Amino acid sequence: MRDVYILSADMTKFGKSPLSARELALEASTKAIQEAGISPADIQATFVANAFSIAEKQGHLGPIVMSGLGVPDVPASTIESACASGASAIREAWINIGAGIYDCMLVVGVEKVSQLDTITATTYFSFGSDFVFEGACGASFPGLYGAIARSHMTKYGTTEEQLANVAVKNHENALSNPNAHLHKKISVGDVMKSPVVASPLKLFDACPFSDGAAAAILCSEDFLKSKSLKSTERVMIKGSGRAGGTGALFQRDDLTSLNAAVLAGREAFKMAGMSQKDIDFAEVHDCFTVAELIAEEDLGFAPRGKAAQLTQEGQTKIGGELPVNPSGGLKAKGHPVGATGVGQVVEVYEQLHGKAGGRQVIDARTALTHNVGATGGSCGVHIFQIN
Amino acid sequence: MTETTQKEVVPSELTIKEFEAGVHEGKILGYQCANCGLKRIDILEFCPNCHKAELRKTQFSDKGIVLTYTIQFVAPEQYMNEVPYAWAIIQLDDGPKVTGWIPFISKPSDLPVGQRVAFKRSYLPGMVFEKVQ
Repeated sequence: MRDVYILSADMTKFGKSPLSARELALEASTKAIQEAGISPADIQATFVANAFSIAEKQGHLGPIVMSGLGVPDVPASTIESACASGASAIREAWINIGAGIYDCMLVVGVEKVSQLDTITATTYFSFGSDFVFEGACGASFPGLYGAIARSHMTKYGTTEEQLANVAVKNHENALSNPNAHLHKKISVGDVMKSPVVASPLKLFDACPFSDGAAAAILCSEDFLKSKSLKSTERVMIKGSGRAGGTGALFQRDDLTSLNAAVLAGREAFKMAGMSQKDIDFAEVHDCFTVAELIAEEDLGFAPRGKAAQLTQEGQTKIGGELPVNPSGGLKAKGHPVGATGVGQVVEVYEQLHGKAGGRQVIDARTALTHNVGATGGSCGVHIFQIN
Repeated sequence: MTETTQKEVVPSELTIKEFEAGVHEGKILGYQCANCGLKRIDILEFCPNCHKAELRKTQFSDKGIVLTYTIQFVAPEQYMNEVPYAWAIIQLDDGPKVTGWIPFISKPSDLPVGQRVAFKRSYLPGMVFEKVQ
């Protein structure tokens, strides 16, 4: 495999947008192209990460986006693996460039769901479950994670207040992220008092339905040379891992861990030749507060059942031993499904280049992203380092 | 001499329509693997345990225990008039797991983990369970 660089990464603001998916994707792609200092004509192929464009009566987003960028002859296709679509698209672009097929690719993740009312959006999100046996049997997406949370509480004694700590931290981090969906400081009491969505999870345990797009330009060293661009002080993909799990949560023996995340994490660490202590910060898939704790345990940052203590002791806040979700995470930065995994790469790019402003993790050089599809039917983990 | 995979394949005996029809008749249908004995309520061609294509349609017990659950106050379209209710993962007495919903559950004290439940009926796509002793 050849080395693969993140030449640039940028995003739209996450939140409620009047723009359509194609417009959001074009905005993020244009920002990434300009940040990279390249022309759209330099892009040889594109992956679009998206799950629900059909809700806007638009499929086949790839050619729509490339046409909008003025390069309709560039091949582009959609990669869908529910909420992990972004990491899957990054992974596939990394494979294509690493294998020498292409030298410069665009990955753009996008979602537009705010036109849907809450019940319709809840229904769409339940399509990411094994719908015959879960969604159609009454499970909403928060319901599936509610069942996971109750399992974690039953097995390890995790409390609702410990879950709330995660929301408080991520909301605090998002205050310094101008692109975040939610800019609202909250307390543990606010979380505990918020309406129950799917017990034990409450409104403030859940990420919002967000619109938004994020884009990254990936390239090879040959491409950098051809453009007379330096290859030092560039973000590189050092490890990539992807794994699957049963589409249905209920089929699993252990509901307190996502095996796909365990496997993807191991693959990424092994490829990077690194261990947990080498990671300066992590962006993990906190679609619900409990998911951040399980991510820390699945990735080996905390022993099983002990992740809640990391948050409680302040180890995962910016300035702590291992900052987790300095961007605000899905919880507060927002969760435009297809854009989320690429948005994590935007945070990595900004942090490793020292451009993260008030949420900057000091001296960050190595970072990990963890992006989960639905309840762990798929997971992508990447490790990045600035050279 | 091992058989080729081609020869081992038998058509999957259970369709989603049949599973759903079973639910309406009060029967919980799934598979048992003729090779390793795995029991599972799913749509499968190969056994996820031994990877043989020897799955046989089987009817399972209508009683079991609640492994975990959530109480939903916001629900997908078909269930929006039923809230609050519990959506539960249930282990049936003869082994396989299934999911179903339990009406009139509004707080955790209504439904301890480990509660025995029985499949009652279905008027939405999912199975309705009720608490039993």
